[in-house]
Amino acid sequence: MNNTFIVNIIHRPEMVPEYAEKVTGQGKAEDIGRKALLTESLDIFKFQQETAHKHGLKTTIQMTYASLFNDEAVEIAKAHHEQYGDEISLSLLGLPCKEFREKYQTKDFCIWMFSMEDKKNIVDDVFGKFYDRFGFYPESTGSYYMDAELTNYIKEKYPMVKCAIATCWEEGPKAYHTCNNSWYTLFDGGPWNPWIPSKQNTHAPAANEAEDSGIVAIPHLSRDLLACYDGNGSNFGTHPQNVLRGMIYDSQTWEMPYLFNLVDQYRHLAKYNNGYSYNMMFVGPGWLNKMGRWEAPYELLAKSYEEGMAYYGQLKKEGQLVDMTMAEFADFYRENKTYTEPECALWKDILYGSNKQLFWYSDPYMRACVNMDQGGAIVDLRPYVAKLKWEVGIGTKHVQDASYPFLIQEKYRAGYFTHYAGEGTVRSAKISYNGEEVDLCLCRTHASFSQEGNTRVLTLDPVDIEFVDLTVKLQTKIYFEEGSSKIRMERNILEMSNPDAEVTINEYMVGCYGTTEYPEDMCGITLAVTDGTNTDSIAYEYKCREKAMKGGKVASATIPAIETKVSLSTDATDGEAYVREGYAFSPMYTIGYQKKISDKEVFSTWLNLEKAD
Amino acid sequence: MAQSGKGRLNYRCPSCFMRDLDIDMFYDKEKDEYYCLRCQYCGNEADVLEKNEMIRFRYGRMHERITNFD
Repeated sequence: MNNTFIVNIIHRPEMVPEYAEKVTGQGKAEDIGRKALLTESLDIFKFQQETAHKHGLKTTIQMTYASLFNDEAVEIAKAHHEQYGDEISLSLLGLPCKEFREKYQTKDFCIWMFSMEDKKNIVDDVFGKFYDRFGFYPESTGSYYMDAELTNYIKEKYPMVKCAIATCWEEGPKAYHTCNNSWYTLFDGGPWNPWIPSKQNTHAPAANEAEDSGIVAIPHLSRDLLACYDGNGSNFGTHPQNVLRGMIYDSQTWEMPYLFNLVDQYRHLAKYNNGYSYNMMFVGPGWLNKMGRWEAPYELLAKSYEEGMAYYGQLKKEGQLVDMTMAEFADFYRENKTYTEPECALWKDILYGSNKQLFWYSDPYMRACVNMDQGGAIVDLRPYVAKLKWEVGIGTKHVQDASYPFLIQEKYRAGYFTHYAGEGTVRSAKISYNGEEVDLCLCRTHASFSQEGNTRVLTLDPVDIEFVDLTVKLQTKIYFEEGSSKIRMERNILEMSNPDAEVTINEYMVGCYGTTEYPEDMCGITLAVTDGTNTDSIAYEYKCREKAMKGGKVASATIPAIETKVSLSTDATDGEAYVREGYAFSPMYTIGYQKKISDKEVFSTWLNLEKAD
Repeated sequence: MAQSGKGRLNYRCPSCFMRDLDIDMFYDKEKDEYYCLRCQYCGNEADVLEKNEMIRFRYGRMHERITNFD
C-alpha cells in the first residue's frame, strides 16, 4: 500500500434519535411516536446523505429497527444504493420505537446489555425485518459495542456479515463521569483502528484463523489518541459535533481547525502502518437537531457537518482518500492485513500545545501505550494474550462493564505520581547513585519510529540524568517484535561524566488489574522470582512483603482473575530479580530487576505477557 | 415561583464543564439566570458565554491548522 487513506462514512435513519426526545421533548410527557420527532429525524438523515453525495462521497446506510417500519426511509436507502453505490446495512443502534417497546416491554436499547436470549431474539427480529424490506441480509452491522457472544451468534446465523462497528475507543468510566454517571457505555481497552476481533473477546484481535470471529471490526469514530485518553472521549473525534461538544471552535468565526488536524494526524499514521491509514465518521441524527445541541445552534451543527464532508470530498478529489462502504472495507482489510500485523500510532498533541507524544501499539497479544513525556514509561497495558472470556449483559457477571482489563492504567491507578504514600501503575526504571535516585518518568523526551523486519522500534531521544557529582546520558529503545507477546526495553549508557562510575538501574513494573478507578481484590495473585532452577514466591495478602533473588532471571505476577501472567526477564547475569507485595493503601504489586551498570553498557529487559490457565 | 425550564439554547454548566462534566443547566425566568443542578454555579447568558470562553484556555493550539505531525 502506498499512502492509502480509507474513510467509512456511515449514516443511520434513527427515527427516535438519542438526545432528541430528551432535548426537544423537555417539559412534555415522553412520547417517542410523536410525528414531529419522526419527521425531523428523517429530515436529518436526508441532510446527511445529501451532504455526503454533494461532495462525491459514498456512504453506508445503517438502517435501524425503527426505520424498517418507515416506508420513506426504506425507499431512500434503495434509491441511494442504486444511484450512489451506498451500502444498505443494518444497525443494532436505534432500537427504540413504539414497535420495539411494545414487543420487548423494556426501555433498554443497548444490544450488548440485553440477556443472551434477548440478544438472539432481537437479532433475529431485526435481521428478519431487514430481509422482509430489502430481500437480502446485510453484510455489515454494528452498535457502540458488540460483545463476542453477540458477534459469534450473528456470524453463525448470518454468515454474510463481514464488518461491524464494534467499540468506541476509550469510552468507559471517563464518558460515564462526563455524563454525570448516567451514560453506561463502559468499554475501555480496545483498538483505536480496525481489527479482526477474536471469537473470545471483541477487544482482543484474533491471532490466527482459529480465533477469527469472521468479521472486520471498525471503531465508532476515529478518536484523538491523547485527548481521549485523558478527557471525555466524546469531545475529540472525527465527529464534527463532538468537537463542538468540546467547545473546540472559535465562538465568533465558528472555525474549527482541530477537526481537520485530527483527520490529518490519522492520515499521518500511514507512516507507521505500511502506508495504510483509516478514518470513520458516524454522526447520529440527534447531533443535528433543529433545536440546536447545547450551546451550538442548528446552523453551527449543520456548518460543521458540511465542512467535515467537504474536507473528505476535497481529499478524494485530490486522490488522497478512498471512500468505501463498510463491506468494501472489510474486503480490503482482509486482502491487505495479516493477523499479527500490529497497529501503531506515534501520536502527538495537536490541541493543547504541550508537545507531548504517546506511542500506541496493538496486536493480538497486547495493547500498550508508551509516554515519551515520562521517559518512555508504559502507562497503559492490556494483556490481550489472555483472550479473556468476558460475557456482558443481563444475566452475566458484567451487566454493563465491557472494558478489557488493564495491568497498568496511569489515569485510573495513579501512574508515577501518588499522594502521600503507595505507588501507582507504571513500567519504568530508576537510576541511583550515592544515595540519590532518579526515575525516568521525570525525563521528558520524544521518540522516532522505525521498522526492522517484523520488529517495530521506538527510539527515544537521549536524556541526561543529573546527580550531585555525576551526569549520565542514557538512551532508551523499545522493541515490539510481531507475534512475540513481549516488549523489549533497551537502556544504553551513552556517556557518563565520570567514565569509571557505576550506577544502579532498577527496571520495574508496578501493576494491578481492573477496569475502573476502584481497586480489585488482590488475593489470589502469586508473585515469584526464579533463576530457572529455584523459585521463591509470595501469595498476595497485602502484607508488604518482598522477595529478591541474586542471579534471578525472571520476576513475575500471576493474576488468576484475568487469567494473565506478566513477567519481567533479562539476559543479564549480574543482578537480582525481585517482587514486592503491596498493602491495603497501595493495592499493587511490583516486579523488577536491578543491577549495576557502567559507561557504554547496553542492558535489556523484556516484559512478557502470557495466558495463565 | 414557577418551575424552571430550558432557555433559548441548552447551555451546560461552565463550572462543571471545566471538570469534564456535561450538565445541562435550567433557566429561572424570574431571576433571568441559568443555574446548575449539580454545583453552585448560576449566571445570566452573558456570564455563561464569558465563562465558555474561559474554558477554552486549555486548548492552546485550537486556532492552528497543523501540517507537521512528526
